[in-house]
Amino acid sequence: MSKREAGEEMLVRKIEQGTVIDHIPDWKAETVAKVLRLDKLARMQADVSVAILQNVKSQSLGRKDIVKIDRWQVDERDADILSLVFPGISVNYVNEWKVSKYQARVPDVIEGRIRCPEVSCISNAEREPVVTKFITLKRERLLQCHYCDTLLGFDAVPDHVSG
Amino acid sequence: MEKSDFIGRDVVSIRDFERDQLDHLFDSVEALEKQPRSLNDILEGKLAVILFFEPSTRTYSSFHIAADNLGMKVTGFASAAGSSVSKGETLHDTIRMFEGYGADLFVIRHARPGSLRFAAEITDVPVINAGDGSREHPTQAMTDMYAIRKAFGKLDGLKVGILGDLRYGRTASSLAYALSNYDVEMTFIAPEALKMRPEVEQYLEQRGATTKSETDLKNVVGDLDVLYVTRIQKERIPDPTEFEKVKGLYQVNLEALARAKPSLKVLHPMPRVDELAAELDATNYAHYFVQAAAGLPLRMVLMNFMLGGAS
Ligand SMILES: [Zn+2]
Repeated sequence: MSKREAGEEMLVRKIEQGTVIDHIPDWKAETVAKVLRLDKLARMQADVSVAILQNVKSQSLGRKDIVKIDRWQVDERDADILSLVFPGISVNYVNEWKVSKYQARVPDVIEGRIRCPEVSCISNAEREPVVTKFITLKRERLLQCHYCDTLLGFDAVPDHVSG
Repeated sequence: MEKSDFIGRDVVSIRDFERDQLDHLFDSVEALEKQPRSLNDILEGKLAVILFFEPSTRTYSSFHIAADNLGMKVTGFASAAGSSVSKGETLHDTIRMFEGYGADLFVIRHARPGSLRFAAEITDVPVINAGDGSREHPTQAMTDMYAIRKAFGKLDGLKVGILGDLRYGRTASSLAYALSNYDVEMTFIAPEALKMRPEVEQYLEQRGATTKSETDLKNVVGDLDVLYVTRIQKERIPDPTEFEKVKGLYQVNLEALARAKPSLKVLHPMPRVDELAAELDATNYAHYFVQAAAGLPLRMVLMNFMLGGAS
């Protein structure tokens, strides 16, 4: 066991079932919580524990944050959106102590989950049966609303997650 | 290029059309202008549904007359007031209702950006975007390009200035998108607060269009072949003192055109207020009435293409 892992172990124990999000840039764990809408776990009164580790020593990043969610599997589509905001992030699923790394990918299209920043966009119209839809422009690190064409930078996505 | 390219398709964004499709459309408008009755009653028995959630008498009439000339029955509304929409019916339900009444074509104007992309997804009936908020007005852009072609016999090689409210003016964005199909140098003339929206600039850059930005018409007017004027609405500029400062820069009159080429053509999507002086009407610069007149045959040809009528 390396020193780094030992440090983490001192802060929080390994989990049997759930999700470990690693290599989060330092002090950005709250942004991760926002993208994953972890507050909805409270509303669901889910039997879930969340450990947020901040500014942990890391060999590759210097410092990093880690989010461990005990007994909750993060949706793959949410993991993909996370990887778009933080390209270096790793999402690991834990099943009976066994860790498997999820290979997140930047999706070509994102439906739902993100609100259009243009408030008058048809996708923000309350009573119309319309689901938001964004096309990703990977090279430019932009999302473009399929309906009104408004652009949204990858970095601004956490401010526009819905749910 | 065949007109079958247009059959059954939606006209939501001018970006959905390629150069050879546009050229084919313009050739057919030219033919119709030579023989104005050649498409009369060609779509007899078809039903056009024109839904203007945001009122505009002139554009509504233009589509209505075009459909009438083609022999179509026309229904719908010219403004949401007094229709079921004012009682809270959604765009979705309104489209579904008229679809049930046997619509063969929808023409829709709506205040919300993106509403026409949504409308086209709701129904399989072809949809024409007659203006969706500040975003697009493709049939106006087609009309504008046709009018330019009519004046110069071509679009390639021209220098086109687009002036006014480029941020919220849907005709300005649609025209800029459309001109990127041709070898046109575009100059955007607008105050800082009303510059082209980032997604328009992004699209033009990706298409390799030649564009530049300017805040004062005087600096560029001598280079232009075409000056496309749009209105700046006072309420669009956050700071009222800023509006007072800039408004003189965006009023097109003989003085503003002092250094223009004699061959310059001035266009305007109409209706104008005071951004375009009446003193230009009698000059060779004025091309906006020719442009306005082209809207009718263009809409007739487009509707006929979409519904696959004989030509
Ligand atoms: Zn939108």
